[in-house]
Amino acid sequence: MTGRFKILVIDDELIVRESLVGWLKKGGYHVEGASGGREGLERLEREDYDLIFLDIKMPDVSGMEVLKQVKERYASTMVVMITAYGSVETAVEAMKLGANDYLMKPFEPEQLTLLVEKLQQHKRLLDENLLLKQQIATTAAERYQDIVGISEPMQALFQLIEEVAAVDSPVLIRGETGTGKELVAKAIHARSPRRFGPFVPINCGAFTESLLESELFGHEVGSFTGATKAKKGRLEIAQGGTLFLDEIGEIPMKMQVDLLRVLEERRIHRVGGTRDIPVDFRLISATHRDLSREMERGHFRQDFYFRLNVIEIQVPPLRERREDIPVLAEHFLGKFRRETNKPLEGFDAGALELLCAYDWPGNVRELENAVERAVVLTKGRRLQRDDFAFLFRGGAPSEPHSLKEMERLHIQRVLSLCGGNISRAAKLLEINRTTLHNKIKKYGLRVNG
Amino acid sequence: MVGVVPLGDVGGVAVRIVAANVQAVLGLATDILEPRPLPESAYLADRHQFDASRIVAHMAAWTDLPGHRRIVGLASVDLCVPILRFVFGEAQIGGRFALVSGARLRRNADGGEAPLDRYYERLVKVALHELGHTLEIYHCDTPGCLMQFSPSVQHLDRLDVLFCPRCFFVLRRAVRALVQAPDA
Repeated sequence: MTGRFKILVIDDELIVRESLVGWLKKGGYHVEGASGGREGLERLEREDYDLIFLDIKMPDVSGMEVLKQVKERYASTMVVMITAYGSVETAVEAMKLGANDYLMKPFEPEQLTLLVEKLQQHKRLLDENLLLKQQIATTAAERYQDIVGISEPMQALFQLIEEVAAVDSPVLIRGETGTGKELVAKAIHARSPRRFGPFVPINCGAFTESLLESELFGHEVGSFTGATKAKKGRLEIAQGGTLFLDEIGEIPMKMQVDLLRVLEERRIHRVGGTRDIPVDFRLISATHRDLSREMERGHFRQDFYFRLNVIEIQVPPLRERREDIPVLAEHFLGKFRRETNKPLEGFDAGALELLCAYDWPGNVRELENAVERAVVLTKGRRLQRDDFAFLFRGGAPSEPHSLKEMERLHIQRVLSLCGGNISRAAKLLEINRTTLHNKIKKYGLRVNG
Repeated sequence: MVGVVPLGDVGGVAVRIVAANVQAVLGLATDILEPRPLPESAYLADRHQFDASRIVAHMAAWTDLPGHRRIVGLASVDLCVPILRFVFGEAQIGGRFALVSGARLRRNADGGEAPLDRYYERLVKVALHELGHTLEIYHCDTPGCLMQFSPSVQHLDRLDVLFCPRCFFVLRRAVRALVQAPDA
């Protein structure tokens, strides 16, 4: 268990060095000795150590100097200073410079055991922490694989993601519903220097104004009825990471001012609180709306818009990158084949032709839903044209329709896509709920997806 | 196969008890050897203690005991090593020599004298622990195992006169190798 914990003892006194090395070896640790500061630094250049026992007084390079260099160059290596009676002040000084602890020669046997065990535990926790962060980063990185595309616009998008990830500026992602704006935000986060911090998404369109305020800023106890516990907001939770504000166009004007203040001052007050809380996150926002038009209409603040829109990324709709449709369809087929455990072999040519001809108003999300539905319902081993007939209920795509008929089909399709959810369908169609209800009644449409 | 050497003024009963237990636990024939003096060079006047590592180094220079594959020295003086205020014993990892002292085993943590049977038991535990090191067994985390590092007599009292299954496995292999070695 201790075999991988590597220790270096740097002490110019042979008997002390040998004694400590010998004792640590009995514990099964991988231990080496260095007879002075210079030799110690040379060893550190060649090999990694978890822990260094470092004598403060050495003739060639002092322990303090070695400590400084270790902390500069090998920050994760832990250092315990070895001091003689009477030089405790120097040891305390060393702790300020980053030493983990100090021991006064000769040590109590128990003191040495406990210290090494404590530092080993500390190292284990650090390693676990790093592993978890890497796992989270990897998970986010894997999501990048979900942005599938061989088309020119997508290759340009991938290039842009790489470039944008390296800087810390706010990003505004624009694109129609279902184009994968959140995946783009996650991909930027996963490649950014903040990738070990959290990725905190919030859909601004999913909350009422007061709830959104509490979600973003958090609240103190008693700030409103039912606030029995203090709660951190997403702005605080995103500390060190990336905050993703989806549907930013839905944010009320008052909150736009609040967020603008946060972006400028980098601190917040929780709802009902007066305490300044510093925040540090990268902001990525997304919208399917044309914010310039919203500004003209007076629905969106210009100063807030310019704060958000330092870098703009446009995610192309699926109909503008049709060559990606077969690749995406195969990608989703693979995903749902695994999930449903159905031994499906692929698409037949007719099915792919049909998928490529369709306009996909709901974009990649609609394609994903369509493939899932086909996978679940198909009886064959290959997905065929008929498995996607629901996309063109009423006829093949090439058949002419009147404008009225096209509207009826389109609304029915979107309702089906949204599983009969009127609010979602209305949002996707960019009409209000009352208008949608009227059209459902007019065309006699089925509401249950 | 194993030799127990009294170093300086050590009670004969203690030597016999240690030898008997080493033979029983390790399963190796154990002899009581002639007493030898402690090396004066190992005495640290400023600490009023003997440097255990120097005593072991002194023992390692003995050339007249070729028949014993392992030798444990038994002393009654207070031992230390340069980095530690005191030790109960010392050993060469994978070597031939080990050392045990009863100096700090006679008293309990509260300063009171420990009953003789308790003292002998402690002595046996430290001797087996140090001999374990000579068989390349390292400190163990398993509660109660003889190879746990004991920084105090209270801790030592919590150990059994037993090796945990893992340490016992290593011990058996090492003892077998010792017995089967060509010059054994």
